[in-house]
Amino acid sequence: MATDTLALKPARAPIREPSAWDRLRVNRNWLGAWFMVPAMAFLLLFLAYPLGLGMWMSLTDMRIGRGGSFIGVENYVYLLDDRDFLRATGFTLVYTFIASIFKFSIGLYLAVLLNNNMPFKALIRAVVLIPFIVPTVLSAVAFWWIFDTQFSIFTWLLQKWGILGKNQLINWLGDPLLAQGSVIFANIWRGIPFIAITLLAGLQTVSPSLYEAATLDGASKWQMFRFVTYPLLTPIIAVVMTFSVLFTFTDFQLIWAMTRGGPVNATHLMATLSYQRGILGGRLGEGAAIATAMVPFLLAAIMISWFGLQRRKWQQGENND
Amino acid sequence: MTDATLKSTAPLTDSREGMTYLETLPRKVVTVYLPLFIILVVLLFPFYWMVLTSIKPDAQLLDLDSSNPLWVVNPTLQHIEKLLFGSAYPRWLFNTMMVATVATFLSIFASVLAAYAITRIRYKGAATVGGLIFLAYLVPPSILFIPLSAVIHNYGLFDTPFALILTYPTILIPFCTWLLMGYFKTIPYELEECALIDGASRWQILVQIVLPLAVPGLISAFIFAFTLCWNEFIYALTFISSDHNKTVPVAIISNFVDGDIFRWGSLMAGALIGSLPLVILYAFFVEHYVSAMTGAVKE
Repeated sequence: MATDTLALKPARAPIREPSAWDRLRVNRNWLGAWFMVPAMAFLLLFLAYPLGLGMWMSLTDMRIGRGGSFIGVENYVYLLDDRDFLRATGFTLVYTFIASIFKFSIGLYLAVLLNNNMPFKALIRAVVLIPFIVPTVLSAVAFWWIFDTQFSIFTWLLQKWGILGKNQLINWLGDPLLAQGSVIFANIWRGIPFIAITLLAGLQTVSPSLYEAATLDGASKWQMFRFVTYPLLTPIIAVVMTFSVLFTFTDFQLIWAMTRGGPVNATHLMATLSYQRGILGGRLGEGAAIATAMVPFLLAAIMISWFGLQRRKWQQGENND
Repeated sequence: MTDATLKSTAPLTDSREGMTYLETLPRKVVTVYLPLFIILVVLLFPFYWMVLTSIKPDAQLLDLDSSNPLWVVNPTLQHIEKLLFGSAYPRWLFNTMMVATVATFLSIFASVLAAYAITRIRYKGAATVGGLIFLAYLVPPSILFIPLSAVIHNYGLFDTPFALILTYPTILIPFCTWLLMGYFKTIPYELEECALIDGASRWQILVQIVLPLAVPGLISAFIFAFTLCWNEFIYALTFISSDHNKTVPVAIISNFVDGDIFRWGSLMAGALIGSLPLVILYAFFVEHYVSAMTGAVKE
């Protein structure tokens, strides 16, 4: 059929040589570059450039409304002597460490629980994710109210159960140590759903036949978890925990909504301190230096999980990408 | 182990699957339902408290002893009414929605093109660019907001919605691109080859073949990006100063909080109404939402 029509039709214009324009039009690299333009424009203008600018600003004494001049590492030297900065760095590390451990263990436990067969499975899974959907600031406001000094429902419950005296109050967000505990609690609360649901997705890929085999070999529930589930989950755990650690370390919203860094700067994270010094205090250079000081920690976190991930791939006998 | 062997003599003729015959109801209640119930109560309590506070009369809010604070007698809508008709709340809600919608569409447009180019046009260095975009995902807004505020000032965007519309895509594009790359990879290459032979241009292939097949991925990317925008706080706090341009999260923190205890009702009503659109959206697209979240992690 096709050959017939070809044979009947006389050849029309002779085929012209492809021009440079024709070649360019089908060139992968040229075409690819055009497709990348919108994304690259955004990322270069509003991400890569500010990232570099931030490092530069941290080396100047820039303030709001006036350009700064280069002062070398003076900002950093000053910060190393600054008690509030050291305290914020320490608390950021503690905050990330404690919150991540709890988020991971409770999240994993919840994922294992959700992986059971039960009525209303889909509904329960959907409900679990709600704390993750609701904007952090708005749930932080709810926590702020829950931890209110005078009208805290926790205080009321403790009084009701007789643990506290009738008119004894707990200054949840007013006492440095309690405030630190409260914000860590709120962060754990907010982080659990993400970890549970992503790990649940990993759990669902584990074949039930492995558990059946383990049962036949006489493995206990704990042994099944330790020697079947956990090793198969490690790659996804590494990725999930990298994200979790990164976002916990650079947290801003929760602290700002609940305590704004108070009382007596006890709950300042590096991000909130950098906002307070840089934007509210107007010392942009110093703020940028605090923000830049987070970078080495972030790189370390990424590296640890990255190499951890590769080692595990190798252990499982896969190629390293 | 003796436990398990005893149980395994139970009849196997019912409809239970796999190894579920090893589990009895009382055992399951203790090991599964009870812990699950406790965790769910803790996870949902703040929302219950939010709803309760927003419909409680002020008198009950401030007097925990006269009635049970875990319940409400004579619920009132006064806080919600005050919020919707006595404050700029509708305006803030509109701002949030507008900024989130525009930023999401912009990012999806840019991400579709980028993801398609990286997975299918495979220009020189595509893999490297893909890796760089993933790294961009790991750059948190809290180390960018100070230099970005200088950039925003220089471009003359300070205190306009454009400050947010143009900066949010930097958070969304890496995520959406990464997610869509995963979806595009699952579309058979042969379809595109057929279209190329039929004389379709790359643009036609993208719009008429790839995009219709990637609709679930697009929905996932859209919903997740929209939620991220709605949730964004630090840029909105830094780049917006006048009341009528604020978004809900910033306005809730700065305009309702002045140490006045009588505002708790309105504050909670504001937080509740600010979360509702997202929760409703989520309720309709749970599956897409979960696949967006896990897809981005699995890649």
